[in-house]
Amino acid sequence: MAGLLKSEAGKGLALSAPASLYVGLLVAGPLGILVAYSFWTQTYVEIDKTLTWANYLEAATDPLVRHLVLRSIFIAGAVTAATVALAYPIAYFIAFRTNKKTLWLLLITIPFWSSYLLRVFSWKLILGFNGVMNSALLSLGVIDEPLTFLLYNEFAVVLTLAHAWAPFAILPIYVSLQKIDRSLLEAATDLGCSKLERFIRVTLPLTVPGIIAASLIIFIPTVGDYVTPSLVGGSQGKMIANLIQVQFGPANNWPLGATLSLVAMAAVGVVAILFVLLATALGRRIR
Amino acid sequence: MKHFVTALAAATALGATTTMATADAASLSVFDWSGYEDQGFYGDYVAKYGGAPSYTYFGSVEEAFTKLQSGFAADLAHPCTDGLRKWVAAGLLKPIDTSKISNWDKLLPQIKDVDGVTIDGKTYMVPFEWGNTGLIYRTDQISEEQVSLQLLSDPAYQGKVAIPDAASSAYAMAALATGASSYTDMSEEEFQKASDFLRTIHPNIRFYWSDAGQLDQALASGEVTMGWGWNQSELNLIWNETPAKMMRDTDKGIATWVCGYVHLEASTQSDEQVYDMLNALSAEASGKYIIESWGYAHSNAAAFESADQGLIETYGFADVDSFFEDSLFFDAVNPKLEGRMLKEFERIKAGF
Repeated sequence: MAGLLKSEAGKGLALSAPASLYVGLLVAGPLGILVAYSFWTQTYVEIDKTLTWANYLEAATDPLVRHLVLRSIFIAGAVTAATVALAYPIAYFIAFRTNKKTLWLLLITIPFWSSYLLRVFSWKLILGFNGVMNSALLSLGVIDEPLTFLLYNEFAVVLTLAHAWAPFAILPIYVSLQKIDRSLLEAATDLGCSKLERFIRVTLPLTVPGIIAASLIIFIPTVGDYVTPSLVGGSQGKMIANLIQVQFGPANNWPLGATLSLVAMAAVGVVAILFVLLATALGRRIR
Repeated sequence: MKHFVTALAAATALGATTTMATADAASLSVFDWSGYEDQGFYGDYVAKYGGAPSYTYFGSVEEAFTKLQSGFAADLAHPCTDGLRKWVAAGLLKPIDTSKISNWDKLLPQIKDVDGVTIDGKTYMVPFEWGNTGLIYRTDQISEEQVSLQLLSDPAYQGKVAIPDAASSAYAMAALATGASSYTDMSEEEFQKASDFLRTIHPNIRFYWSDAGQLDQALASGEVTMGWGWNQSELNLIWNETPAKMMRDTDKGIATWVCGYVHLEASTQSDEQVYDMLNALSAEASGKYIIESWGYAHSNAAAFESADQGLIETYGFADVDSFFEDSLFFDAVNPKLEGRMLKEFERIKAGF
């Protein structure tokens, strides 16, 4: 044992063993079970364990599945774009324009002090028929009847998710801005760049890794979100995770649910890889 | 909160090792909807064992089924008749020995006869409470003569309608609206007609409600003017003084649901204790309490005589016999049809 711990590789293995074991048991294990389930079929209350592609065939040919997967990707894409675009200026401000960085970072985490579910519910109260927004507009005389397009659609889902995930975008972008060597910016100014040029040609390309990280951190979990669409999405804002939940709940068809989960996972993976390739290429080009 | 206090009391009693009976009370576990831990529902049990059983909660019958099937154990559970066939098929239940239920003969015969209380000749459920699912509407905006299930599909009510996010309830409504002979065993043609009806009302739907509170609030605020919901919502609106009521005309369509307690196969407690609880739940005093304090109808016929008649009138149970004759009961649906309903309903909700 002592000999093993002396070698460099041995030390590495020993150090990574707890984490590998943990990840292996809690991620790879369940994923394996999911894959196994996806090849089985449900017959009323029993599981038929004959291997079959039937679930995959159903998922591939069902227009409802395609529709919901595409909508989920669209909603998650919109959330990512909105969040990153709004987070960048805040991160920029904290990195370059203030000395009270710790205070600002603390303020940004405040939404996380309350439960995610409560935040979704508060959006429902804000956007609702007799909610804060409608009451305010009615009393100001801007509108005569409560607006109904605020809640129960894709817009409400995007808005709620963008608010909930904002800190996840701010932090990685802030870190990448903070890492920028300030002398590079001075050099750019010395060489005749205007402030805008300096931002586009130096600052922005150097923060591409932060933007990619922020985008992935937001995009991947939001594609699979089901609480937000089920509370504020109405029937027009349902996402693929809602259909998966139905399979594991009321429909009691775990194998189809497992297949849909894997299909969603694959779709997310493909989109995420394409995005990383595209963003990296763009980052190189503007440099 | 109440169950927490009870649990605390039970825990304290355990710690102090007072009487054996007190410690026993909480050893019976009940898997239930939240709110049913109310001690008024099983006064006789508390009197005998000196405390309440321990409660675990579920939010929907489907969730309860999934949890039990993945190995969760309790002594009693509280599902409703429409889902029970699946529970029996999955081997989750023990038959009920009705000879040990002292109140069995006092239970409303029509409720005892609901398919799902008894399946394939064996009784699996002691019916506890029942009520109506019907069309609740704003009386200040729709007149009693005008209201009907067909009105749900009227383009004038675009965005003014809510129905449950539950396939069986939605199809029961559609069966009533399209005049299907039975809802648990629809013919192909009737199923298509019911699905088409749900499709025609889809554009009018503001939301498919998943918790009753959502419907109550929307009706109270005027966000929707009609909703298919439980009598509990009607009561909340009455208590809130909202001008709304349930369409109780059986010709126009109303459904009746029945829920009750089942003895789980995984039960580890003695039959004596389990049946003491079942007897306490079905007792006349419990019935009186649930009718007066909760506005729910109970299965014990004697409870309707001893409860406050004025309240019975207000809550809409004055003429129970007429409901039993013409309302649609949430019987246990044929499994194959249930699967098709679930699948088709997902499509309809997504606009397909």
